[in-house]
Amino acid sequence: MGNLSINLKPNFMGLLKCLNSINWFIVFFSLINLSMCIYEDQIGKFDWRQSYVGRIKFAQFDTVSTARKIIVATEENVLAALNLKTGQVVWRHVFESTSSGNIQLLHLSDQIITVTGSNPYLVRGWDLSTGVLIWEWGLTLQKNEHTDFSEWWVQNGLLVHMVPKFGSHIEVSVYNVATGHNRGATSKLPAVWINEGCVLSPPYYTCISGSPGNQLLLSMDVTSDAVQIISKPLAEYTTARNGNLNPFDTNTVIPGFLLNEKIILIRGNKFEAINIAISEPSASVALVDSASGPLVLQTWNDEAKGFTLMAHNLVSGQRVNEIGWSDRSLSIPEPELSAVICTKTAREQHVCRILVTAADDASHLIQQEGRVLWTREEALANVVAVEFVDLPVSDLDAAIESEFDQKEAAKMHSSVLAAFTRRLQSQFQQLQGAVRALLAGDAAAADEPPPLVRDYFNLHKIMVLLTDTGKIFGMDNLSGEILWKLYEPNLNTEAAVMFTRRSARHPPHDAYLTVVGKHEETGNGLIVSLNPIRGTPVGEQTLHLDVQILQCAVLYKADAQKLHALILLDKDENVQILPESSAPLVENMYMHVADRSSAVVRGYALRHDGERVSAKNIWSVDLSGGGSQRVVWSVSKPAAERIHSAGRVLPDRSVLYKHLNPNLVLLLTEGPDPVHKDVVVATCVDGVSGGVLSAHVHRRARRPALPLHSEHFLAYLYYNDKQRRHEIATLELYEGPERWVPAGAAFSSLRGARAPHVQRHAYIVPAAPAAAALSATERSLTDKHVLLALSTGAIVELPWALLEPRRALSPAGEAREEGLVPYAPELPLPAEAVVNYNATLLRLTRIHTAPSGLESTSLVLATGLDLFYTRIAPSKTFDLLKDDFDYYLISVVLAALVLATYSTKYFAARKMLKMAWK
Amino acid sequence: MSQLKSNKKLKWALDFNQKNKQLSTELPSPPGYSQSSNANYAESSKDSDSNLLLIKKLWDVALGPLKQVPMNLFIMYMAGNSISIFPIMMVGMLIVRPVKALFATQSTFKMVEGTQAIGQKIVYCIGNIVNILLALYKCQSMGLLPTHSSDWLAFEEPQTRLEHIGGGLSLI
Repeated sequence: MGNLSINLKPNFMGLLKCLNSINWFIVFFSLINLSMCIYEDQIGKFDWRQSYVGRIKFAQFDTVSTARKIIVATEENVLAALNLKTGQVVWRHVFESTSSGNIQLLHLSDQIITVTGSNPYLVRGWDLSTGVLIWEWGLTLQKNEHTDFSEWWVQNGLLVHMVPKFGSHIEVSVYNVATGHNRGATSKLPAVWINEGCVLSPPYYTCISGSPGNQLLLSMDVTSDAVQIISKPLAEYTTARNGNLNPFDTNTVIPGFLLNEKIILIRGNKFEAINIAISEPSASVALVDSASGPLVLQTWNDEAKGFTLMAHNLVSGQRVNEIGWSDRSLSIPEPELSAVICTKTAREQHVCRILVTAADDASHLIQQEGRVLWTREEALANVVAVEFVDLPVSDLDAAIESEFDQKEAAKMHSSVLAAFTRRLQSQFQQLQGAVRALLAGDAAAADEPPPLVRDYFNLHKIMVLLTDTGKIFGMDNLSGEILWKLYEPNLNTEAAVMFTRRSARHPPHDAYLTVVGKHEETGNGLIVSLNPIRGTPVGEQTLHLDVQILQCAVLYKADAQKLHALILLDKDENVQILPESSAPLVENMYMHVADRSSAVVRGYALRHDGERVSAKNIWSVDLSGGGSQRVVWSVSKPAAERIHSAGRVLPDRSVLYKHLNPNLVLLLTEGPDPVHKDVVVATCVDGVSGGVLSAHVHRRARRPALPLHSEHFLAYLYYNDKQRRHEIATLELYEGPERWVPAGAAFSSLRGARAPHVQRHAYIVPAAPAAAALSATERSLTDKHVLLALSTGAIVELPWALLEPRRALSPAGEAREEGLVPYAPELPLPAEAVVNYNATLLRLTRIHTAPSGLESTSLVLATGLDLFYTRIAPSKTFDLLKDDFDYYLISVVLAALVLATYSTKYFAARKMLKMAWK
Repeated sequence: MSQLKSNKKLKWALDFNQKNKQLSTELPSPPGYSQSSNANYAESSKDSDSNLLLIKKLWDVALGPLKQVPMNLFIMYMAGNSISIFPIMMVGMLIVRPVKALFATQSTFKMVEGTQAIGQKIVYCIGNIVNILLALYKCQSMGLLPTHSSDWLAFEEPQTRLEHIGGGLSLI
């Protein structure tokens, strides 16, 4: 208490605070739950993590060790072992995301051999069962541009590296795998006939060469000591004028290749055409060994039959009937056979396990008869955008709500009797529901997934995840289960944005979510509208525009169907409104577009002139600073943000009013500077008037300039090149002790230009941040916390109070009374503030936050290679009982008290009676 | 008028030369003696004695609040301006007691219907009001009165907006 009295200058709020803190003391002594982190037994209660590896590049079945696995190397530079039965990651190694982590070779023998990087290369040997690194050696080649086409393979325990120099020669080096000892130095094989269309089928390198019409099919064993070239006219194998060479997707048997849908093997230094037809030009073909000789497997996605797989015996050319099926229910676009393993059962039946990777990055392990053992949605390793969508209320709740909604109408139009019958009806429904729930008991609850209806606290939501490949997922936020998926092959999500245009709160209407992206080929706008609850297309469905989209926005006003219109500003500065009927609603709407490379920001005013909406360029700001700067981020405030308090109470009980400009945009530019190496500039621009409210230059600073923007404060992270550390700069905008517009009045950016008072500070972040986000709650009553994703795989939750620019170096009396922490340049990143405890998240790229129905709680999803979901309570869970609250104890105590009261009453009465008779 | 005069004369002048036609059996009371007035006198003196006491007592009651003022001032001084549980309790008492007393004025002065009742009541009320003012002053100096704009900040209407924006980095 004494401590409090020092900190708080007495005032009315101070009394409340005091009472509050007394409350806290009660809480402290009763619950002792002051730490931010969770208990060990709460792991996985509110959070989950999903580990991904990325699109599979190489895969091999581990046949050596007892625990069956699939070893995969991926486009994301991940080496991982997947459990054969469940598809779970057994172990995983994440290499550098740059080209130095590129996996060039995956070879399985008694250990795993990988080659990573691109000059210098690293050759590593890994233990199969544990994934432990056993040995490693590096290799640096002389600089030459041909190394991009180099090929690696392992042959007889030797690592072969081949570098073709097109039109000249092939360089082949052979190394001892484990030691890197160069056996025969580098040999140069003259080959003027090689070109970019050549294929390697170890150890043969095959090309089509020669003038058109007179082409030769040439092949050479690059590892043999004597150079032997197999040469045949192309016309012998194909009638087509142009030969097209393709390697097999998987080949473990005989060197061979595909020539225009024809299988050609190289056997005994001879080409051998195999008479097995490839049914579809796009089919993926694999050559696998089995107990009854080598098999040719081909798979493709048939338009009529769906996913189709077919197998032939390589020797006899006969179809193997037991392997081969079609399945319409499987949606595997452009399947590719990543790995196949075939065995024979006791009944002389072929049993194959096939790992198929599709164009949507999903990997499926398929067993005999098309039974999918597991599916890994590797597209989720590259999430581009996330949207949290509220679930619809249950039918019963909707009925009750409608009853109350119509209350006013009912007064007018219907009688009391009608209202009474409706009341009775809904009561009866409630009773029915309760009885049904009682009868069904626990058994049903265990079997069925919980229905997709909103829960009491609105903690259950659907997360819509847009991925890099154009696949859209609907995910349950509580379980992480994928509820629906939608693959849009033509969607380029490079700069895609997602909008919830109608929530599920308007019962007769479905929720409505729109993805605005680009068409893969044309670059024109591609708009996908769907129902985020079920993943079904709605409204405009998939709309392919015939023009490139410059920017898009959602209209703040909803139409009669409660749908917010989509405003598209195209390259020619024309405006399209979807749906068009909403055009008259466009009013007081402004848009801004920041061009990345030229760093020019343009502002447009949208006007509806009775017929159509037009955009007029009203301002433009050049942030290029002499042509070198590039815009890296443009962040405006969250659209649905509520602001709880309009000012900050100072110790002398006056108010420092916040500058709550809802149209403020933070633009971060970055670029080289002749004097200061690199410069990061943060500019606060008003999105309506184009006025620059403040600008801050950081010299010798670089990316990642991650921005944060909410209420009246802004922050951005940058790398300080001079000090070689990451820093966070924070700004707060204040109007001063007098407010500019009266309380409750509308803010207008066009009403007079007054510069707000900007307070700023910079802090050292003693880690390398990869992503940053601010916690979001429904009414912004709770404190704001900053979530920092670090490159170490941790997400740290920092209170804004630590980042506050008002922290003075040595707080004088008043500032100390305000409760400001004295300025310390380095931010503490305590281990207790790590929200993902020891669940390391690799290669985090973004953090998404969303409010829940509970004011204290904010939902967090971190995306990257892993997905991690949790919920945080910045001001502790003040509106929720602890989750280990002892309901039994309290009800027992209550019951006992009631019992005791009545029994004492009875005994007391008896005693009184006796006394009276005495 | 003359009748009245004669009557008056009759009261104070003794007419020894009266022709008494009817002799009264009873002797008139000696001059200056009045039985009723005597009785009245005794009674009224008794009455006014207790009355005086009551009035005195009631003045004590009425002046009680005012007499508390110095004591309250001392308590207030001792309590200090910090916000902790005891000063809060004291301030609470300081406010609640006079307010309660004000409401109970009627019952406090129920038995009195004297010439001074109104004055007493007024003094009593003034005393209590002085006490309340003192308590309010204490609250003010402790900062418990919502007199600043900061105290009403939480109840202010949120700011609305006139213009709406959309956009960001170019999607091309």
